[in-house]
Amino acid sequence: MNATALLSAAKDGILTGAVYALMASGLTLIFGVMDIINLAQGTFVVLAAYLSYALQVHWHIDLFVGLLITTPAMFIIGVVIERVFIARLKGPDRTGMSILVTYAVWLLIEGTLDLVFSSNDVQLQGWYVPKSFTIGAIHFGYIYVAGFLLAALLLGALYFMLYRTRFGVSVRASLADQTSAALVGIDVKRVSTITFGLGAAVTAAGGMIYGATNAFNASSSYDLISRLLTIIVLGGMGSLGGALLAGIVMVFIGDMVGVIWSPIWSTTAYFVVLVLVLLWRPQGLFGKVQARVA
Amino acid sequence: MSETLVTFAGVVAGYGGGDVLKGVDFEVRPGGVTCIVGPNGSGKSTLLKTVSGLVRPRLGEIHFKGENLVGLSPRDILKKGIVQVPQNHSLFREMTVEQNVELGAFLERDRRVVAQRLATIREMFPIVAERAHDKAGSLSGGQQRLVEFARCLMLEPELVILDEPSMGLDPKTLKVMFGTIRMMRDAGRTILLVEQNARQALKMAERGVVLENGKVRLTGSGMEVLHNPEIGALYLGGSLEEARRPRP
Ligand SMILES: Nc1ncnc2c1ncn2[C@@H]1O[C@H](COP(=O)(O)OP(=O)(O)OP(=O)(O)O)[C@@H](O)[C@H]1O
Ligand SMILES: [Mg+2]
Repeated sequence: MNATALLSAAKDGILTGAVYALMASGLTLIFGVMDIINLAQGTFVVLAAYLSYALQVHWHIDLFVGLLITTPAMFIIGVVIERVFIARLKGPDRTGMSILVTYAVWLLIEGTLDLVFSSNDVQLQGWYVPKSFTIGAIHFGYIYVAGFLLAALLLGALYFMLYRTRFGVSVRASLADQTSAALVGIDVKRVSTITFGLGAAVTAAGGMIYGATNAFNASSSYDLISRLLTIIVLGGMGSLGGALLAGIVMVFIGDMVGVIWSPIWSTTAYFVVLVLVLLWRPQGLFGKVQARVA
Repeated sequence: MSETLVTFAGVVAGYGGGDVLKGVDFEVRPGGVTCIVGPNGSGKSTLLKTVSGLVRPRLGEIHFKGENLVGLSPRDILKKGIVQVPQNHSLFREMTVEQNVELGAFLERDRRVVAQRLATIREMFPIVAERAHDKAGSLSGGQQRLVEFARCLMLEPELVILDEPSMGLDPKTLKVMFGTIRMMRDAGRTILLVEQNARQALKMAERGVVLENGKVRLTGSGMEVLHNPEIGALYLGGSLEEARRPRP
């Protein structure tokens, strides 16, 4: 193993891991506030990537400019899905039910995408996509750096929203205890709907970067959701910082193992680390020890 | 002026499996303390939750100053000046004491008003100032209760609903707690109280209500309820019906 490979893996970990963390932040917020496990998050990413694709192919809209359209679009799609499917789930069984319901939503979206776009792989294009610069012996792809900056910006904005705004207070209160939140006058239903919308909205940027750095089709959602779920389990449910660290660790380990042994072992190695961490800290890296009191 | 503040009329409510409240009728008069007593599981907390909007009655109506509350959200009910301190601890453990108290005025958007009220509350509850920046979860159970009291006053409510506030308090804190309830009453608020500490609570209460098995079995002045011979039987594990039955 040489230093360049190590640095290169660290670079990938940080640049790409942050983008995965952004996608996972939606999942972790939704779980924290609503006790809903949104299996459709992976397919939201793919849907967002296809939205960018459609804008690019039909209207020649640049990927980054397109975010101004795809981000609100994903927010609205999230809000509608929450109102139609998720808001009906009530009572102590709703976490389990949410897995079934969001799986149905996933299949619905995936099937539609498959029909509309066919199952051939596509990749998002832009003059900057193939370009890169070099520092020392390390290559930095423009799109990866831009993805990192975008993810850092949006995660920072989410963090600011959570800790510095009135809406953030209502999210954190709902996250801690829905009944107590309701008793101080927080509209927990509305907070849930908006949180679900935000969780979907962050996939617009995540999906665009994913689509520009990977060839994808409708069934890419399987790989995505397993990555996102493991990120939030490793990072700790409900924690943005945890998601960031876990995203970086996941990509870094995958890269390192790919270089040292073989890319075949990348995913396996990550899961080994996941299991070891969970044996040591079952609540994940940043998760709260005490589970929510019902 | 209307003689009642809250009227329960045929309130039937539960949690999906069977009714817990089986037709509750009684009135809460404005001002003073109304104390509900009854055995565990008789539906006292459920009754309070129907007022604050956490449980929606299946049948019946709850009128507050002539307006039906049934179907309103907890937020809308809070806006009407009704606040509840629930039986379980309800502070946000990861937030500081001060943040928790400020959240009591979540519906008040004027920051100056919130700051003013906070200043008043600090004087009434020294712990709010002393432990302002500690996480609420680091306080003892009794201290948390006092902070919950402080928080519930931030909106200057008209009706304060307290569900077993004395649970787990030592005798000294208990005194402080009952003193605080008197203070709220003397400030003109109406108190709807559920207490296991029945003797002490009924002594202070203008009105007493006995709930048994989801129904009101007895109402009267606090003293009347306290000295009713059947109450002892109820608390010794029997039911009023058994107590009323002529002994052989
Ligand atoms: N969230 C809930 N879901 C289902 N059933 C519930 C729930 N809360 C209470 N119950 C049931 O409703 C009945 C009345 O409960 P409630 O809490 O109103 O009694 P209580 O009079 O307040 O008792 P305690 O003195 O122990 O506080 C009980 O049989 C209880 O099992
Ligand atoms: Mg109770």
